[in-house]
Amino acid sequence: MGRLDEAAFAAFHARTSRPLRAYVLRVVGNVSDADDIVQEAFLRMLRADVPADTEEHLRRYLYRVASNLIVDRWRRSRHEEGEEMMPELASPRPRYEDDAAVAKIFAELKPRDRALLWLAYVEGESHEEIASSLGVGRRGVKVMLFRARRRLRDLLQARGLLVT
Amino acid sequence: MAEWFDLDREEEQAVAAFMARVADLRIPDPGSRLPAAAELWCKAKLLRQWEAERRAQWPLDIMQRVEIAGGLVAAGLLLYWSLPYF
Repeated sequence: MGRLDEAAFAAFHARTSRPLRAYVLRVVGNVSDADDIVQEAFLRMLRADVPADTEEHLRRYLYRVASNLIVDRWRRSRHEEGEEMMPELASPRPRYEDDAAVAKIFAELKPRDRALLWLAYVEGESHEEIASSLGVGRRGVKVMLFRARRRLRDLLQARGLLVT
Repeated sequence: MAEWFDLDREEEQAVAAFMARVADLRIPDPGSRLPAAAELWCKAKLLRQWEAERRAQWPLDIMQRVEIAGGLVAAGLLLYWSLPYF
């Protein structure tokens, strides 16, 4: 298989834009930023003229570009606004069923943790696939994912949503 | 053998359940601000063309600067040689 043509790209876009947007939106937490990142990721993929060996290869490339853009944006905003404040963990206990509370707890994690957890639990990716999607080493993913899960566990415990 | 990287079963279940809830969260306004595939394709094509033009233009830009510098040096030398000896 060679390069993408317009029809193949349209089909690929139709299949991937929604899941990619959901991923970016949950990690970034802002609709306008998420849409910018998704658009930029598709444009970079097209401009790079990535060989369309398999759709999975293209998809990984797209997620990697989007993940890098997320981290870049996060670093820039952190630089401009100072270190992001962690919300008070002992804040009033949210109801687990409440969408806003779920989104708020997830937003308290760092973007890299959110990306790892999303790819692992929602997209169901293996360590190898996550490493490829995020452009990091395969061995590092296991440790990073463990830490992300532990941080999420701590947040759930702090809100009484997980009793040990 | 239990992996050092594993949470205990209950914690793992809680994390997985929470992530399932995150996955089910409503995505606001799906796709409305995102350009269509055809629009992205055209935009990328234009950007690729501009990049190619810029790459092709680059040696000409350099040569233009070299020409100007060469012209100035030549003018300086001519001026120097045209001056009478002291």
